[in-house]
Amino acid sequence: MTFKQNLFSQFFLISVSSLMLVNTAVAETNQLSGLEIAQQVNARDEGASVSRNLTMEMIDRRGKKRVRETRGFRKYYGEEKRTMIFYLKPNNVRKTAFLTYDYPQADDDQWLYLPAMRKVRRISSSDRGDYFLGTDFTYEDIKKEGKVGIEDYTWKMIGEEIIDGHHSYIVEAIPINDKVARELGYGKVIYHIDSNIWMVRQTKSWDVRGNELKTINFHDIRQVQDIWTAHMLEVNNHKTGHNTRFLFSDIDYATGVADEIFTQQALRRGL
Amino acid sequence: MNKVSYEIWASRFFQAVTAFPKTIIFAGLILILGSAIFIPTLQKDTRSDAFIPPDHPALIYRDKVEDIFGLKDPMVIAIVNESQTGVFNPNTLALVNWLTEQVALIDNIDPERVTSLATENDIIGTEDGMLVEEFFEAPPTTQQQANQIREAVMDFPLYLGNLVSREGDATLIVAELIDQTQAQQVYADLLALVEQAPTQQGERIHVAGEGAVSGYMGEYIDADAQRLNPIAALIITLILFVAFRTLRGTLLPNFVVLATVGSALGVMAAFDVSFFVITNALPVVLIGIAVADSIHILSQYYEEVAQQPEDTPRQVVIRTMEKMWRPITVTTLTTMAGFLGLSLASVMPPMQYFGLFAMLGVGVAWLFSVTVLPAALSLLKLKPSPAYQIQQNQWKIDRFGLAMKSFGGWVSRHHVVVLLLAVLVTITGVMGAFKLELNEARITIFQKDEPIVQADTIINQKFDGVHYLDVVVETAQAEDLFNPDHLKQIEALQSYAATLPHVNGSTSIVDYLKQMNRALNEDRLDAYQLPIDPDLVAQYFLLYSASGDPADFEEEVDYDYRLANVRIRMDTGIYTHEKVVVEAMQQYITDHFNTADISANLSGRVNVDYHWIKLLGNSHFGSVALALILVWMMASLNMRSMVAGVITVVPVAFSVLFIYAVMGFAGIWLAIGTSMFAAIAIGLGVDFAVHTIERLKVLIREQKYSFDEAIAVLYPSTGRALLFNFAALVLGFGVLATSEVVPLIKFGTLVAVGISASFIASMTILPALIKAINPVFLYPENTSVNITPSMKMTETIHLVDAIQKERKDDIQTKSI
Repeated sequence: MTFKQNLFSQFFLISVSSLMLVNTAVAETNQLSGLEIAQQVNARDEGASVSRNLTMEMIDRRGKKRVRETRGFRKYYGEEKRTMIFYLKPNNVRKTAFLTYDYPQADDDQWLYLPAMRKVRRISSSDRGDYFLGTDFTYEDIKKEGKVGIEDYTWKMIGEEIIDGHHSYIVEAIPINDKVARELGYGKVIYHIDSNIWMVRQTKSWDVRGNELKTINFHDIRQVQDIWTAHMLEVNNHKTGHNTRFLFSDIDYATGVADEIFTQQALRRGL
Repeated sequence: MNKVSYEIWASRFFQAVTAFPKTIIFAGLILILGSAIFIPTLQKDTRSDAFIPPDHPALIYRDKVEDIFGLKDPMVIAIVNESQTGVFNPNTLALVNWLTEQVALIDNIDPERVTSLATENDIIGTEDGMLVEEFFEAPPTTQQQANQIREAVMDFPLYLGNLVSREGDATLIVAELIDQTQAQQVYADLLALVEQAPTQQGERIHVAGEGAVSGYMGEYIDADAQRLNPIAALIITLILFVAFRTLRGTLLPNFVVLATVGSALGVMAAFDVSFFVITNALPVVLIGIAVADSIHILSQYYEEVAQQPEDTPRQVVIRTMEKMWRPITVTTLTTMAGFLGLSLASVMPPMQYFGLFAMLGVGVAWLFSVTVLPAALSLLKLKPSPAYQIQQNQWKIDRFGLAMKSFGGWVSRHHVVVLLLAVLVTITGVMGAFKLELNEARITIFQKDEPIVQADTIINQKFDGVHYLDVVVETAQAEDLFNPDHLKQIEALQSYAATLPHVNGSTSIVDYLKQMNRALNEDRLDAYQLPIDPDLVAQYFLLYSASGDPADFEEEVDYDYRLANVRIRMDTGIYTHEKVVVEAMQQYITDHFNTADISANLSGRVNVDYHWIKLLGNSHFGSVALALILVWMMASLNMRSMVAGVITVVPVAFSVLFIYAVMGFAGIWLAIGTSMFAAIAIGLGVDFAVHTIERLKVLIREQKYSFDEAIAVLYPSTGRALLFNFAALVLGFGVLATSEVVPLIKFGTLVAVGISASFIASMTILPALIKAINPVFLYPENTSVNITPSMKMTETIHLVDAIQKERKDDIQTKSI
């Protein structure tokens, strides 16, 4: 823990001078590199499984709002990750459900249940840069759940600042090549990472042509069963004016999720 | 104030002007500089929307609809390959792929909103589910793979006629802009890109789209203006030289021109009025008008110089102005009245401003002609013009004067023939006018061989068309559009639209829902229909969003699922074609669509065009009528005789009819550009009649000439001046005929024809009419009109002698 203490003292130093030195590049030795910071983020514990309620609020550029309430489950099987989302509201989509298996190497598998059809249908895998369920998050954003895609970018620490009273590193991530950039839909991402708890507090992204694209803010970060968790995520799409807000509640990392949840039978049966 | 006090006032005014000539000239310079300084801030506005009053309901509604559904005017690139495989061969698909990637790299193009065969997904139903995948991830390498892509595309109704031609021989790349106002640059970048594209034999690339049209038009107009204005100025200078053959006669009017054009454009810029497509004609029009006053003043000036070479320059100038201020003031007022008519009756902002600033220019031309011009002349030593010489107490008339004189004599002798001819032409004119067609198509602004016109033609031929009529469907509550009954109604509306001429296709959420229903039912063709369960509709939309962008359905349905947009594609932008469809759709909506729960309204460019071009017709005839009435009122007031007003208006009324006839027989549409001709031809053409009548009045009423004698005096002097005035205008407008902007060519040509007609009418019909009816206003109140010509002749000779003794006024060429 010497490292943390070291960091702590640095944190104090910086917060004292931060009012004058926001965003200045850090020239001191003994600094973390961008990559090391990214590794710290990904080393954070996020629980082997979780169940939670998720309310998605989507607001178009004219201020019209769609609200969808869901109950979701996620569980790791080694590096494989399984996710189930059941829609609760509004009524006309109640019991609609999506089941996804994310494999570390292969394309993901996805099934869907439409209650009005009473059929489970397999749907083709989504691309990483595709938008997730009509929100402003991409499938990649969702898959990473507050972590970062280390291998997709080259990382560079470009400064530090105080964000919402927390010291953070500003890390610039540039896709390693044009192909990855096109896949992700990002030409550049700037992460603001809390140096204390290694949570991303803000992400800003630009499209492949350098136009300002999105800002994601991670709010209401607190510990749930010792795991740091953002309870509210907010995305503003600067190009479309569309906004998305994710509100999490009833988060439970401890109880565990039964394997039966991640099956086609469960998809059909519902909650 | 009676007439005498006017004369005294005018005389004092010109005394004053010539007393401080340098101050006046300096003030004139300041005025020019003061207004011209704003010119660089002029903003171009080449949008076709600029022609519509900003508060027109159709426009407001269209803007609202565009906002609700996020409708844009994208750039469109068409790739055509008419070989056997069409675009479905490895080479052409590789080209599509290459262009799609390159287009996304252009500045100001939204890389996320570039749509083509290389970006779009195919939705395929499978046994256990649904596949959403790109038509091709990498371009195919074999013809067999290309054939498979063709099969997949042809089985996807949503893209046919839209992204890919129904024949498979053309495909589009559609690119949205981030900043629509920078379309001009993007269009240029796209053309440059297309130049570098690795095309193979048989492949052609065209760039089009509303954004491209607006963008290109800006460039087109700039180039045009830079060419037209110098030519117009040069031609006018040449005419001035031929007319006066002196340096001052050639250069001084140019100073007035500078002031006129500079102040009109400067004030436009200062008041933030945009430079519209038709504003291009304004400088040219003003150049022609601005010299008219100068021509008449200088003609009189040189006559005075020739007669009184011993006087001081100041005396000569004052005398010139005392005689000329009245006719040039009257013609200024009548010309302004014509432009006022255009401005007041027109509903289109560009025309309102055109009328307004032309009016201002005419006013400034007058101001400079009665101040700076005499001030400058009073500073210059008297030097006779070779065109104005007296030899042995007689005018040495130059060939122009002689030609006019013999022409006048002929008219006077054959006035009955002239009037009969006039009646004949009038009858033909009325017949032609009945053939006149109100019509407009925006693309006709460009020459036919312009790439943008070819692109438009090809795209409208190969695809369903890029002229959109939007039908906005409105329901009462959020999510009411999930109701299958409502969806069926939309489906029926689309089926009806498909029966109308020039309608080749339409798209709405109904088409997506049917495609989805088919994909989720093992791709069975019979499942290409609307789901019957409203919950299923809701779930289909949710499913679609599983891989779609949040704004995916933005163009078809609003966020509440309360409003839907049906986009009907037409292959023509011609008003008469649009009219049929708009009126039929409106009828259908009223009779078969609207209920208490659901209703529809028309929108889109086709609907807006329909409404404002209809307005154009009404406002055209309104502005002609108003211009004629205003000119008639001005002339009547000036002559204090309504009959005189009517006689003044006859030549311009005749010329308007004549233009209608030309348009009717030549099949020229009454459109944006051409609709302005009439008010302008009236305002300008009436000058000939005013000068003629003014002079006749002086000659007959005050100097007691007989009619024939008056004609003999009038033609070589006023007639000659009018001839050059006419030449300046006709050649000035003629310059527009060399424009690249087609409406300006038509406009310039028609105004030139109109001015020619009113010049000829003023020199023929007008005197013939006066000779036939002997109007009272021309003759002294207590003189009977019935005096015999011989009596008048003797009187005249005495009178002339008397006048000559006093002021050596007009030197008669005939009887002395």
